[in-house]
Amino acid sequence: MLLRLAEERATGALLRDHGTLYLVEGRIVHAESPVAPGPDVLLTAGGRLARGRIAAGELEICLLGALFDAAFFALAPGGPARFRYGVAPWTGTVRPVSATDVERETLRRRLLLDSVWPYPAVDTAPVVPRPASPGQTVTARQRALLAQADGVRTPAQLAWALGRPAFHTLLDVRRLAAAGLVATPHEPTPYEPAPNETASDPDRDPDRDPAPERAQDQDPDPDPAPARDPDIALLRRLRDALEAHL
Amino acid sequence: MANAETALKEATTTIDGALGAALVDYTSGMALGTIGGGKDLDLAVAAAGNTDVVRAKLRTMEMLGLQDEIEDILITLGGQYHLIRLLKSRGTNGLFLYLALDKNRANLAMARHQLRKIEAELEI
Repeated sequence: MLLRLAEERATGALLRDHGTLYLVEGRIVHAESPVAPGPDVLLTAGGRLARGRIAAGELEICLLGALFDAAFFALAPGGPARFRYGVAPWTGTVRPVSATDVERETLRRRLLLDSVWPYPAVDTAPVVPRPASPGQTVTARQRALLAQADGVRTPAQLAWALGRPAFHTLLDVRRLAAAGLVATPHEPTPYEPAPNETASDPDRDPDRDPAPERAQDQDPDPDPAPARDPDIALLRRLRDALEAHL
Repeated sequence: MANAETALKEATTTIDGALGAALVDYTSGMALGTIGGGKDLDLAVAAAGNTDVVRAKLRTMEMLGLQDEIEDILITLGGQYHLIRLLKSRGTNGLFLYLALDKNRANLAMARHQLRKIEAELEI
């Protein structure tokens, strides 16, 4: 829908569940999302404004960063999309960005999150720190994040508290989860047996037990074919964690 | 007072042998601005990839317990120099300037000096 609006050089607001994109002649001039802290929060909570005036370059970078951050959540897949022609943003805008660039960057970010640690459940759950293993270190950025993680705040709430972009916080939390420094919440997914699996499973009587409750033992597994053997699921998670450390 | 785009333009016009430059946010790997590049040098890809270089070095320093900062990173290829200069005092979100140079035409010492100047202009 965004690309179609860009093509017809539309001006107005694209409203989604998790945010709004403002277009002028098909290019994006502003984005906001209740998940992503705006430039005001980024500059004040980050302590930047207290240190003096902001250079034009720095302000531009902050506004641009906030635009892509809000756009990431506004363009989340699923949910309705409405476009209101002629609506302009109430706040100052950044130099216009092409819809193609925003779409491409949003997609790249989504893939990046999954390449780091493919468990989306950590994005919205309270961040629960886990003890570091001997010799394990974290960066200064991560240390500041862990210090604010009280077991109640979600990544988005941490982003607001720290004055950091929400996507950056999601990425940090996924990296910490991959390193085992943040708990990965158990995500029970309804188990849907593949047709051939049902037929070949000798333990299951389809007449008596048509939809066995297996959700409780399922590990969150991103692979299309869920591992029946818990050892394989464990090995996969181990592999993912090792790869995340490379 | 330079904005991001003029700073990048300056990097490629005042530095001899410059093939392309990008201003990169190394937490997300996004290029906030690029100039030059082209078919042979996709700067968006270079930005994301060099983010891993910077992060790996920062992590190594953390493991070594070095209380210091990276000023720049030089990668020497057969025909090119790739120069990464980390920008200071930007709150918690790290940025770096990435510059690709033609090895035959570039003066490395001069390029580093110019990058330092461009960084200063971007800040004040």
